[in-house]
Amino acid sequence: MEIILKIVAIGIITCVATILIKPIRNDFSIFIAIAGGLIIIFMIINYLTGIFATFSTLVNATGLNGGIYTFLIKIIGIGYLIEFTAGICSDTGNASLGDKVLLGGKIVVMVMSLPIVINILKIIMDILPT
Amino acid sequence: MGIEIIFKITAIGLLTAILGQILKQMGKDEISTITTVAGFVVVIIMVLNLISDLYSTFQTIFNL
Repeated sequence: MEIILKIVAIGIITCVATILIKPIRNDFSIFIAIAGGLIIIFMIINYLTGIFATFSTLVNATGLNGGIYTFLIKIIGIGYLIEFTAGICSDTGNASLGDKVLLGGKIVVMVMSLPIVINILKIIMDILPT
Repeated sequence: MGIEIIFKITAIGLLTAILGQILKQMGKDEISTITTVAGFVVVIIMVLNLISDLYSTFQTIFNL
């Protein structure tokens, strides 16, 4: 697992570069920080695909409905994406904007997962004796 | 996709700062301003490319 050494090194190099550039050009330090974060994300994103492939084989083995699983993956993706975008917003000094992005992501996830809740309620209504 | 983009951004920042200072010393204030803005735009384009790469990767992985 030499990737963890790479991630640590990239973090430290990004920090040093940010400190180095700050007194000379203050506006560039934000860009360096964003680029460092993006490079780390790009390094670990391939592992994410592997994890999801493993989970999908597990789901196929259990014989569950695959639609709900892809739905779950989608919601996880929205979560990561929103979290990262909010982090960029906070890095540039707009913490309140980041909060709004987070709120938007929460609302979208809620809207997306409402049909599943309705489905569960329908199943319960079918089971209950009238 | 590697660490070299951080070095690139740092180098562009240092270079444009030094160039701007030299041009200002030579009395060419307007060219110095243009140099600063050009460096800024180049770095913005690099970072925006990275961000758009990230979002398209997310779209393909999570089927968003």
